[in-house]
Amino acid sequence: MNGDFWPTLVDGVAIAFALGGLFFMIVGAVGIVRLPDVYHRIHSASKCTTLGLLGLLIAAALFVGTAEVLLKGLLTMAFIFVAAPIGSHVLAKAAHRDGAPTWSGTLSDDLDEA
Amino acid sequence: MFVTPLSISNLVLAAAAGPEAGAVEAGKGSPLEALVVQTLAPIGVAVLLLASALCVYRIVRGPHLADRVLASDTFAVLVVGIVVLLAIILENDLFFDAALVVGILGFVSTLAFSQYIGDRRRAAEAARAHAGGVGLSPGEAAP
Repeated sequence: MNGDFWPTLVDGVAIAFALGGLFFMIVGAVGIVRLPDVYHRIHSASKCTTLGLLGLLIAAALFVGTAEVLLKGLLTMAFIFVAAPIGSHVLAKAAHRDGAPTWSGTLSDDLDEA
Repeated sequence: MFVTPLSISNLVLAAAAGPEAGAVEAGKGSPLEALVVQTLAPIGVAVLLLASALCVYRIVRGPHLADRVLASDTFAVLVVGIVVLLAIILENDLFFDAALVVGILGFVSTLAFSQYIGDRRRAAEAARAHAGGVGLSPGEAAP
């Protein structure tokens, strides 16, 4: 076994994380275009934000591999994981208060009945 | 690795040192490194730009204002991803700070637009009642 083994393994894991992140990013963007109403699109955009950015930031931290980049990546990840659900929730509630139209197949609206 | 404290003087010194200031020393010795930097990361940037184009389509098209705000929020996240990949391509640490800043700005703008969307209907009704002189009683009128 030569000395290249561990760096190659770490870079391979980083490539796998980056591919996963890119997959979720493109899936979230396609969902934003294809899904029928605001609430469905918020659901899709949350996938894009959390999983996609998680994969890319882990990949970058593993690939560069210094303590600074690891710390900044963890900081960005922690912020995004707090901010993205809050943003989605506030936006969904605001859209509901503004009376955004729902998809024709929507079965019930508990917030409207409350 | 030695981490410099974050202060104004250090930022000024880093700015004076030019764009090479945050450059990472190369040479971890992995055979995959050149492949990632020269091929895979640019392909990733292209994929994220394609996703950004889809978001722009939704910003232009979106029937409701919440659709546009949602798409611009996702656009900010995609820009964070592009900046992270640029940090890998250009081998410069400073781009990670830019990624954090772009993420914070996207979150704050989403919150501000959500406030506007949520209050829009009630503000319009209050304005109509104020103009017509009927409807809401003075105690209920929105400020």
